[in-house]
Amino acid sequence: MELVVFVIAAAMVIVGALGVILRPNPVHAALSLVLTLFGVAVHFVALEAHFLAAVQVIVYAGAIVVLFLFVIMLLGVDRTEDISIEPFKVQRPMALVVGVGVIGLVTAAVSSSRDAIGRGNGLEIPTVTGDNDSNVRQIARSVFGDYVVAFELTSVLLVVAVVGTVMLTRRIKTGKGES
Amino acid sequence: MLASILAQVPWQAPSIDYHAIAPEIVLAAGIVLIILVDLFVGESKKWVTASLTGFVLLGALIPVLTLAVSDPDARSLFDGRYVIDEYALTLKALFLIAGYVVVLLSQNHVEEGDYYQGEYYTLLLTSLTGMVMMASSRDLVSIFVALEFLSIPAYMLAAWRKRDRKSNEAGVKYYLLGVFASAVMLYGMSLLYGVTGSTLLSEIGRQITVDGDFGGVHALAIVFVVVGFAFKVSAVPFHTWAPDTYEGAPTPVTAFLSVASKAAGFVALVTILYVGVPQAKDVWQPFLWVLAALTMTVGNLLALRQSNIVRMLAYSSISQGGFILMPLAVAGTGDAAGPALQAVVVYLLVYAAMNLGMFAVVIAAARTTRSGEISSFGGLFSYAPGLGVLMTIFLASLAGIPPLGGWIAKFAAFRAVLEAGNGWAYGIAVIGAVNSVIAFGYYGNVMREVWMKPAPNGETRAVATPTSLVAALTITGAATLLLGVLPGTVLRFGDLADLVGAFGR
Amino acid sequence: MTLLATTPTTTWYLVLGAVLFGIGAVGVLVRRNPLVMFMCIELMLNAVNLSFVALAKRLGDIGGQTTVFFVMVVAAAEVVVGLGIIVSIMRRRPGATADDIAELKG
Repeated sequence: MELVVFVIAAAMVIVGALGVILRPNPVHAALSLVLTLFGVAVHFVALEAHFLAAVQVIVYAGAIVVLFLFVIMLLGVDRTEDISIEPFKVQRPMALVVGVGVIGLVTAAVSSSRDAIGRGNGLEIPTVTGDNDSNVRQIARSVFGDYVVAFELTSVLLVVAVVGTVMLTRRIKTGKGES
Repeated sequence: MLASILAQVPWQAPSIDYHAIAPEIVLAAGIVLIILVDLFVGESKKWVTASLTGFVLLGALIPVLTLAVSDPDARSLFDGRYVIDEYALTLKALFLIAGYVVVLLSQNHVEEGDYYQGEYYTLLLTSLTGMVMMASSRDLVSIFVALEFLSIPAYMLAAWRKRDRKSNEAGVKYYLLGVFASAVMLYGMSLLYGVTGSTLLSEIGRQITVDGDFGGVHALAIVFVVVGFAFKVSAVPFHTWAPDTYEGAPTPVTAFLSVASKAAGFVALVTILYVGVPQAKDVWQPFLWVLAALTMTVGNLLALRQSNIVRMLAYSSISQGGFILMPLAVAGTGDAAGPALQAVVVYLLVYAAMNLGMFAVVIAAARTTRSGEISSFGGLFSYAPGLGVLMTIFLASLAGIPPLGGWIAKFAAFRAVLEAGNGWAYGIAVIGAVNSVIAFGYYGNVMREVWMKPAPNGETRAVATPTSLVAALTITGAATLLLGVLPGTVLRFGDLADLVGAFGR
Repeated sequence: MTLLATTPTTTWYLVLGAVLFGIGAVGVLVRRNPLVMFMCIELMLNAVNLSFVALAKRLGDIGGQTTVFFVMVVAAAEVVVGLGIIVSIMRRRPGATADDIAELKG
């Protein structure tokens, strides 16, 4: 059963990812991105990260992709990009080499040192969560305990990001004495 | 219902040493304050936000000073995730003072340039908060959050001159490459977490040892993390964003990026190398060696060809980054760990003073010349002798001529390299020495313009330099001279035992 | 039937993460529309998140999930800022590609 879930979700992830880089139309790319993000959310559920799965669907697949689509439509760039023209001849083969190289290296590395991964501090391997709602509780303890400074400061970051973006996209003020 | 759930869970709030995080608290409060004040002051009184930013930065410096003289030498919060030791305090002070100088540089530029002032200072302050946080972070999550905290406002600052295409482009380029670099670095961090089972750097340092099962994953993880930071410190071949971004961004922002942002990247790199993966030196030493050699050489050769002063300074800043990488490339060999850390910190302090000073002169001179071409600085000495002399001092310091600050920095870097004393060390020392000589070429070229050439349009009337720029020039000029004449003041900061202990000696 | 009983191991997830990361990296290098390049970076970040969560389960340590939480928060801020910058440039020059944006060269 877990195998079936893994295979289906992995297929969603990879098909979606290929869609993002191969579809010439930005709107199609954004919709492919949703497929990948959902696939990742399914994996999160299978890996017992319930809270993150919910956040993944709500924030990533929901808010962020909608934002992408909104910007694409706002700017009217939903025309098909002609990806058959490539200004730099070497770039595509080079990119492929880089991509395949990264995938090959990491795959070889993680499968060869399978024992090193996860052995970590030598503890026996328990599952993350005992019962279903404790996942949220554990994350909360971690976020508000060890990482509380970073967490509180991210709130400042979000405010500043909004303030800055409003100013960046605001219509340019016409004269100094205007307001 | 909720109460019953809460009752089951014994929850203890973490104990927080508020004195230790006081600088961050002052800065965060300052950010909010400036956003609010900016809402209520009229268009003609926006300069208030600049002064306020200056006060907030100086205010944050007070707890840094009290922490420096207070009793426990090193304070450690959250099981060592956030550490305030001498290393952290020195760099916090550096970031705050550099930030203050950037505010002084920005004041007139931003007022006259039709920018949104209040928000400009808010972003500057946010970025500085990230840097101050970075100096204390000893944990992958904190380092990541601090890095984004300092980068995200910087992306917006680079694009702040909205009407200008170059600035737009500077923003987009910096943004896309910056986020790409973060993703690469995070991937490395995830592998590092996988093989050690912890996000805590000191724990990672305990887990990663050369003996036993050091394998491909360990090496890949370290390489990914270093590549991520190589983008941030614009090391060749990951430097392509830097010249374009530096040229397109508003000049005070360029000064900020080339000094503070770069220093923060180095701080994170040093922390990870010294605390996190000192035992894996066989992986990162050769890698950093190649990066350092390439960065010095390519940066220098491209700087020789530039005709725009900001672009030249961009390449010069890349090449100076190579000199900061140089001691790190041999940091694990022999007895070089201590001197290398000292060299990096000293270089960062001196580089901040002289490079900010250089940009201050460029901004002040550009008020007269209205141009960024090197040839437009012709005859600067004849009509603005003060600026001419200062520019010479900063250029000489950047080139490493004694007895100025830059010389001490280069001296410390070479001393650390020679301390390592093997073939690799001598090799990089020779490359560094050759590059120091090449650098005279382009720094000397600007000096020749300033002293020997006539003013291009027969322009002989200098525009008065505003008080804030004079203050910035005084601070940076005095620092450059003092650090050179009294090297003892700065070399004392080399006594940073906490991080060096990580190498297990 | 025995095949169906196999449970996916951490290595499988890590390989899937590597594939996703690689596809994202290729996309950033190949595509020219800044918006699509940015989507490819999101793919890379998701690969990171997948690796972290798989490793957190394997290690029985919540730290990995917390890291993912922070990555998501920061990514949200990044998206806002990035789209802001892209809007401010594309509104003036619709249809700009990463190659057209070449005022600065050399």
